[in-house]
Amino acid sequence: MSTRAHVLEVGPEPASRTAWIADVRAHAGVLGVLARKDFQTRYKRASFGVLWAVAVPMLQAAVMAIVFTRVIRVGTGDDFGAYVIAGILAWTYFAGTLMASSTSIVDHSGLADKVWFPRIVLVLVPPIANIVGLLVSYAVLVPLLPVLGVDLGLRLLLLPVACVLLVAFTVALSLVLSALHVYYRDVRFLVQAALLVWLYVTPVVYRQELLDDLAGAADFNPMTGVVTVFHAATVGAEDGWARPVAVTVVTTLVLFCVGLELQRRRDRLFVDQL
Amino acid sequence: MSAAIELNGVSKRYVKLEEQAMLLRSVMPFSRPKRSELMALRDVDIAIQPGETVGVLGRNGAGKTTLLRLLAGVSRPSAGRLVVRGRIAPLISVGVGFHEEMSGRENVYVNGMLLGLSRVEIDERFDRIVEFAELADFIDTPVKFYSSGMFMRLGFSVAVHVEPEVLLVDEVLAVGDLGFQLKCFDRMRELKARGTTILLVSHSMHAIRLLCPRAILLRHGEVAFDGDSEDAISRHYELMSLDAEAGEHGATSGSVTVVERALVGPGGATVHQADQDTPLALRMRLRFEEAVDSPHLVFAVTAEDGTRAYEMWTAVGRRYRRFEAGDETEVEIAFEPRLGGGTYRFTTTVLAADGKAALAHDDAATLLYMPPPLGAAGVADLRAVITVGGELLNDHPPLLLDGG
Repeated sequence: MSTRAHVLEVGPEPASRTAWIADVRAHAGVLGVLARKDFQTRYKRASFGVLWAVAVPMLQAAVMAIVFTRVIRVGTGDDFGAYVIAGILAWTYFAGTLMASSTSIVDHSGLADKVWFPRIVLVLVPPIANIVGLLVSYAVLVPLLPVLGVDLGLRLLLLPVACVLLVAFTVALSLVLSALHVYYRDVRFLVQAALLVWLYVTPVVYRQELLDDLAGAADFNPMTGVVTVFHAATVGAEDGWARPVAVTVVTTLVLFCVGLELQRRRDRLFVDQL
Repeated sequence: MSAAIELNGVSKRYVKLEEQAMLLRSVMPFSRPKRSELMALRDVDIAIQPGETVGVLGRNGAGKTTLLRLLAGVSRPSAGRLVVRGRIAPLISVGVGFHEEMSGRENVYVNGMLLGLSRVEIDERFDRIVEFAELADFIDTPVKFYSSGMFMRLGFSVAVHVEPEVLLVDEVLAVGDLGFQLKCFDRMRELKARGTTILLVSHSMHAIRLLCPRAILLRHGEVAFDGDSEDAISRHYELMSLDAEAGEHGATSGSVTVVERALVGPGGATVHQADQDTPLALRMRLRFEEAVDSPHLVFAVTAEDGTRAYEMWTAVGRRYRRFEAGDETEVEIAFEPRLGGGTYRFTTTVLAADGKAALAHDDAATLLYMPPPLGAAGVADLRAVITVGGELLNDHPPLLLDGG
């Protein structure tokens, strides 16, 4: 790194795609350090450390499962508890990460307006730092599955695929939202409001077939595809899983390209709005 | 050899929305928020050769910070092109992007990496960085518990130990105690000797004089002067006085107008800087818009940071003369500037005979730069002589750099 010739040349136009991508790659080390610090500072002072990352969504899932099976009585099947937990853990990663990363460029302006590095680094910190919590939470869930009435099986091999899809969709959406948030500060609140509604239009705390006629519409929610794969990996696939998953993959690719392009074109201009 | 820093026709325009942009308003037609444009830099051409140390002067809002931001690569110009050749260490305001929750140690690593060092390179330099910053006992404390001085010391220490080829410094020497400031000067001189290109933005004429043979004066986003730093400093004071005059001339509380004022040296010529041994005088011409009986004066001297260095009141209550409407009179305030180093503002207030009602207040065109007496700090020049065992110890050798 130090042997590279350092020449900074800046004009009014955004960096070319190749130059920008090279610049982002050159800052991979910084991203790693920031992500590790983000993870450490969150759990360092807590006595149960990273277990909180599991305990909180587990508790939430337990409450949801009890409410929906005993009180409202829409929960069906012996594996409903496992079904809810499997979805909630993924949702917790998605919601927590999206809230942090969609506002990251503004929130870390102290770090951002002095030294140059591509701002996408800040956006990528929460998704990467939170992967640890995500992996730990599923590592805790898997041995619990037999207790919750679900047999272990080869379908668990789908878990890494599910995690990749979840992280990819979260990153893609964060790239777009974080760029917009610099210009429109409403984004922070829109994200909070949207997440509130989004949880209930995603089959996390109920089974998708309960939606009857609306089940087809739910397929076009990209988070449906994500939780569908998590359900397939834990309690087993449901019929008609292909369409929501295809929607998620396409949405992710589109958001990813749009997000990267926004980040590249607006880099070195974000700072003017902080 | 190609220039270390090169700006060709660089302009930076900020578009400020009158109100914070709101999603709703920008989506709806006919309700776009009003925009106003601010040209922070206008068609700036600068070339700085490797190894040069150049000061940047200018009032607040002249474009100094924008210039540094562009050179640090954080922002991009609206027009023109800039090139910086070499590893850049920007030291823009206090703390080069520290993470509050992290310890000093962790911040050194993050910071070092942001400045382009590898982990191994930071390992090698770590002890020197901590030692220079004088933070050995606090290096594992989260930086949110640091004082601003500690923050700055760590930031400066990391930046200079990166061994940058281009060092951008903004106002950093204003913080910290005198001992550390001197250490920073030494370190900057060392870097300079090794061929580092240094750009120093400062309100401290002292720092610019000591370190920079060349200075660039910015005014309203344009280069107003580029050349010898002594000339740049004189031009800076001249422009500041002109601006102050333009802004405040004639602004009085009504009954008395200050028509002219000048800070003059022994020969009667206007001065913008002086040494402690030259007697000076503030000369003013007052015009009475209405009849005033025995007005009184307060002469006050204020340092850069707002400290009142000196004040002299005329004897309130003493009746000496009645001025009629339309009368003009001369005022002379003679004094010896036994002040410490820095820039001082001279303020004159005209009071009614009872010493209560202010009739006029004037601080235009009366800025004075005092070079600091060697080894001294503070607003007063007490001319202390320190001897130990009869040996005179505070006859400092001149603290000047080798030119060029």
